[in-house]
Formats: sequence, structure tokens, C-alpha cells
Amino acid sequence: MLVLGAFSSYFPMNPKPTSEPTSRRDFLRSGARLAAMTGLGAFGGVLANRTQAEEWVWQIDPQKCVRCGNCATKCVLEQSAVKCVHAYAMCGYCNLCTGYFEPEPNALTTAAENQLCPTAAIKRTFVEDPYYEYSIDENLCIGCAKCVEGCNRFGNGSLFLQIRHDRCVHCNECAIARTCPTEAFRRVPAKQPYLLKTTHAH
Amino acid sequence: MAVLSAIASQRASGAVGPTKNPFAYDVSHLQTTDPKLITYAEKSRWKATQPDAKRIAIGADDTLYVCAGNYLTAHQPSGEAKFEIAASEPTRCCAVAADGTIYLGLRDHIEVFNAKGQRQATWESAGKKAWLTGIAAGENEVFVTDAGGRVILRYDKSGKITRRIGEKNKERNVPGFIIPSPFFDVKLSRDGLLRVNNPGRHRMELYTVDGDFEGSWGVTGMGITKFCGCCNPINFALLPDGKHVTCEKGLPRVKIYSATGEFESVVAGVETFSENARACGPSDCTAGGLDVAVDSQGRIYILDIVTGIVRVMQRKT
Repeated sequence: MLVLGAFSSYFPMNPKPTSEPTSRRDFLRSGARLAAMTGLGAFGGVLANRTQAEEWVWQIDPQKCVRCGNCATKCVLEQSAVKCVHAYAMCGYCNLCTGYFEPEPNALTTAAENQLCPTAAIKRTFVEDPYYEYSIDENLCIGCAKCVEGCNRFGNGSLFLQIRHDRCVHCNECAIARTCPTEAFRRVPAKQPYLLKTTHAH
Repeated sequence: MAVLSAIASQRASGAVGPTKNPFAYDVSHLQTTDPKLITYAEKSRWKATQPDAKRIAIGADDTLYVCAGNYLTAHQPSGEAKFEIAASEPTRCCAVAADGTIYLGLRDHIEVFNAKGQRQATWESAGKKAWLTGIAAGENEVFVTDAGGRVILRYDKSGKITRRIGEKNKERNVPGFIIPSPFFDVKLSRDGLLRVNNPGRHRMELYTVDGDFEGSWGVTGMGITKFCGCCNPINFALLPDGKHVTCEKGLPRVKIYSATGEFESVVAGVETFSENARACGPSDCTAGGLDVAVDSQGRIYILDIVTGIVRVMQRKT
């Protein structure tokens, strides 16, 4: 599209009829010029696309995400570039964090059987009675969104998914975006690569 | 290993369309209620006349008041509207004294109306951070819950704050309120004690009108006898015999507890409020919620704040 647009003057819709027949030399010369320009155009197109890839990146709109699990299983990376992130300003620092605990935990302790996260990627730290802080270990997080679902369903939605751009390989056609059931993946300016949640008004 | 296996099997399937989520957060078993526990039946229902209904209250003559949008609407028990009061901003909570005086809570202050809906007074703001969510009207005092300040404000009848109740105080053994979302309710019981929900601690608490902490009850958990999620119960009412009717969000359900806090039965389970349960899912659970009021005959009125429907529940015989 960009190539054609850039060189559209070389392909006039209604070229003027020429009175003199084109000589073989002129034909070859113009053919060589056309080939050179086409090549440059293609190169320009590649450049333009590369520039575009640098300026626009994939990101998840947390308001559209339905926590389907695809982010954990569809990314081309062995461990997904999608991670859970935490809007601390929104968090209630709950003792019973439904993003951290199984729906019916045996006890509100850090024992493995009580934890919701399949990779124990959420760290629970006591702050003061009855508050606890929850942080994500991105090396363990696989982006499955199980905690995000628990937090949204019973909490105030401070946990949500984002593509981490230090891990994302910026596929032109994101493998997760292709399967996202709610089209929560969209292109955002690379200068503002994250779609963060902020404190909500009651 | 199980996680790697789940990811590997999903990738191996190569499916492009909808697939089963190996990491699904499953609470489906909590969304149905054992019929043996349900002791109330729906007798009728009607819809609030204004959108965005938030709270309900009942007067001594069983007139039902609904806070919705910028209005407070008085209804007959059948749902027929009697009169409407327009406010300058969204109405948040209300209570009706024995003499019919109506106390209407806006974000940061109380407005007072007579039984005919005529304005009598506008009290001063409780502060910039105030977020009023519940009112209990006594004979000589009015108690107002401020979710923003995490405190119960005791007013005299002229609108002057005479005491702040429930602020964390180790010397007085007051634990403090934990209010992660704007659901904070208060009722004045016939025994003279204040009942108040402390949703972040998943329990109900009792205070004297002078602010002494008398006790608490409630167990954290998802099971039917417990209070679930980040912050429940959200609202409650008292039956004539002193029992509690509690509301929860997330798993929207209404339950009966004895005066001392033992679980007794279910008024309406999650299956009754399917839209309300769904509303909690997409973004955050504060989008859902219920409120209850009890009339002189012990009938329970449940307001579904998602649908605006008021259900009238009567005990099964």
C-alpha cells in the first residue's frame, strides 16, 4: 500500500498517448529505472513497516480481557510474554485475597495447597493487621489469568494482564491476538506501550 | 509439571477457535444453593422507577424508600410510587425515623425531609473524603457510616457531629473498620446497640452508641455459612426478633443469622441474582451488590442494584 502510494506517479491511470514509437534503448532504460524504483519502493516499504513496528506494539485492553487462558498457551514464546501486573493503588491489600487464595482454602496461609496460582508466582507479605501486600514474580508468572479472574470476580480488579515488552518479540501477527475471543489485543503507540488500570471512582 | 502439561496439550491441539481453559477459575459449585437451606419464597417483585438504584429503607408505616440516581422515591409495599424527592447529586443512603422524618445521605452530607418529602434541613459536609453509605435513625441521634473516613458519625438531631465511633484505637480495644469497597452499613438494634458490618474483616460488629466495641461475629470463606470475597457482608437489615439479614456481593446471596451470629438459613441464593453475579465478573465486583430492608411483618425486601428489581420475600410456612 505504502509502495504503491509512493510511486503512483509512475503508474498513471490514463497515460498520454505518445506519437513516436519507443526505441529499444528507451524501453530498456525506462525498464531499468522502473526496476530500480520498484526495488527502492520495496525497500522503503520494508523500512516503513519496520518503523511502524517500532512505533506501534501489541497490548491487552484490561477492560476487554475475559481471562480465557489463551495468553498462557498461544504465545510463540515458551513462557508467555503476557504477565499479571498489579495496580497497587487499587488493591485492597485484603487478608482473603481472591487472586491469591483458592476459592475455598483450608486456611489463609501461604501453604501451596491454598494458593490459586499454578506456579506460585504471587508473593504475599504481611503489612499490618489485617493487610497483606501481593506482588508478582514475573519469572514464574505464565499469564494464565487465574488470579486476575479471582481478583475481578470477588475483589476490585487490581490484578490484570499486560504484554511485557522486554519479553515480547513483537510478532507482526501476534499469535495470541489471533485467538483472543474478545479482541482485547490492540496496537498501541510504543511510546505508551501499556494500558494500565487506575483507581476507580465509586 | 501439571502447568507445563496443560500448556503443552493446548499448544499441541493447535486449535484456533474456542478451547477449554485449563486455568479456569471454577466457583460453579458455589453458585447453586441447597434447597433445604432456603426458607423464604418470592411473593412479588417490582422495578425501581429510577435507574441506578443503590439502597432501600423502610419507614414505620412500611413505606419503602429507594435511593436511585438523583432521587429518593417512596413506594407502597406493592411497588406503587407515592412521591419522589429530587436531589442535586446521586442519593447514596437513607433512613426513616419513627416519626417519619427522612434522612437522605448524599456523598458527603445529610439532607432532612419530613414525611411528606418537604425539605427541613441540610447538614454540613462531613469532609472532603466523606463517602456516606448508611444511616440509622434513633430517637435522639442519627448514626451515619462514612466509608471514606471508615467511621460511624453520630449526629444529634440538629446535624452536629457529637461522636466518631469505630476508629482504630488499641487502648479502647477498637479494631477499626476495613472498607475496601464503598459498602458500609449501620443499624440501631432494639437492644440499643449499633450493628455495623466490617466487610474487610468479613464480620459484623457491635458497638454501644458511645463507641465501645462490644463484640463481633462472622467467618471468612466462600461456603454458604461464611462471608466471601474481599469484602462482605455489604449491607444488612434486622428482623423484628433481632436476627440479621445479610447481603453479599461477588456471590450475591442473602442469608439469615441469629442475633448472636449463628448461620440459620438462606433467603435467596446466587441463582436468584444471575445478572448481579455476572456484573461482578467483567471488571470488578463493586459493580454488583444487593440491599435489604425488613417491614413490620417480617417480610424481606431485596434490592438488586444491577437490575433495579425489588423482590418481596416471605418466610415459607
